[in-house]
Amino acid sequence: MDGIHDVGGKLGFGAINPTDEDPPFPEPCDGRMLGIARAVARPADWNSDKFRHTREQEDPVQYLTRTYFDQWYKAYACMLVGSELVTVEELATGKSSGAKPDGLSKPMKAGDVEQVKQMGASFERPYDGLIKFQIEGHVRAKLITPTGHCRLPAYVRGHVGEVTACHGAHVLADASAHNRHVVEPLYTVRFWLSDLFPERDGCADLVHLDLWESHLETA
Amino acid sequence: MVEYDASKAAELHPIIHSHVPSKPALRIKALETLLVEKGMLDSAAVDAWVEVYSEEIGPKTGAGVVAHAWCDNDFRKRLLADGASGVAELGITGWALGNLKVVENTDDVHNVVVCTLCSCYPHGLLGIQPSWYKLEAYRSRVVRDPRGVLAEFEVMMPDNVRIDVWDSTAELRYLVLPQRPAGSEHLNEEELAALVTRNSMIGTQRVLPVANGGQ
Repeated sequence: MDGIHDVGGKLGFGAINPTDEDPPFPEPCDGRMLGIARAVARPADWNSDKFRHTREQEDPVQYLTRTYFDQWYKAYACMLVGSELVTVEELATGKSSGAKPDGLSKPMKAGDVEQVKQMGASFERPYDGLIKFQIEGHVRAKLITPTGHCRLPAYVRGHVGEVTACHGAHVLADASAHNRHVVEPLYTVRFWLSDLFPERDGCADLVHLDLWESHLETA
Repeated sequence: MVEYDASKAAELHPIIHSHVPSKPALRIKALETLLVEKGMLDSAAVDAWVEVYSEEIGPKTGAGVVAHAWCDNDFRKRLLADGASGVAELGITGWALGNLKVVENTDDVHNVVVCTLCSCYPHGLLGIQPSWYKLEAYRSRVVRDPRGVLAEFEVMMPDNVRIDVWDSTAELRYLVLPQRPAGSEHLNEEELAALVTRNSMIGTQRVLPVANGGQ
């Protein structure tokens, strides 16, 4: 979707101001929110793409001003309410007014963390379709303006790049955010900054993006 | 069970915003209390995750991989060919490492990693992202003006070194393999690992000083 989250190449955000001291959880509630997200019992249909699509629909003012883990809070609150697992009233009071929901995964135990922390899923899937684009081939990022989740950033849409790798077929985030399971070839495509931004004329620097086949057309 | 329709979030956000406690600490506390009462959450597991990401999983894990690649050239080649299998050789698996790609700095190329659409990051190697990595200033600018961004990190890039920016738009996660610093020939793998900083593995640092030690 053409939302506030798609900030690549946007101007006006100012200085970065990196600091030496940068703890993982600036406030204790940040750590609690990460832990809640990782340990909560959940329905089988939740996935990281739904989480991202939920987060990116935050009101732009809120998106730009809430702390990172507070944005996680908002996304989880939306997912819990939208799945009818909790009500807004319950979120407001912190008190349960209904029965324990059925059909969820078991809540994680402290003893499970040792094993779960070592789990990192691959998103590559078997695929017997054709691989449409060749390495070193030129492709154009489609000039699209989708309303739903889309991992093709606006700053490359309409521009031509070069395929540098194919990673087999991966779960298409744009579909799984919307309850559809689609598997498509995933490519790394490099774009010249000089093609994307007028002030980079003559610059040899590159930006590489991982894009699914449906994001691309032959150039 | 109701399937969650994420496209409804735009309607839910303002409703939730207007009802829940105004302070983040209070609304997150209310959420935890509620979920425990519902039988959906065990607070001891939350404690365990906080401890893991405060004490255990962080840039030291990635630094060990980098130092090993500097000391073992065959490993380095395998790591660059297949990052996920490479780190798994060292017993490292975890969050966001299933499709790991390692990109190597050379005399001619400097790599820097971003996620312009959210803040994707190789958590299992580097822990929780630094705050600047998650904010719009870095995410918007590093794909458009990487040299200006690196200068803010006090990295002055010569014109003859190309910058490759990696925007983590799918589930591949990127780790920069920095160059082994000159003058580090006498150091063993453990001492080398101590030189490797988080920023050097994101790409916002290029030269690793030997005399000062690592972070």
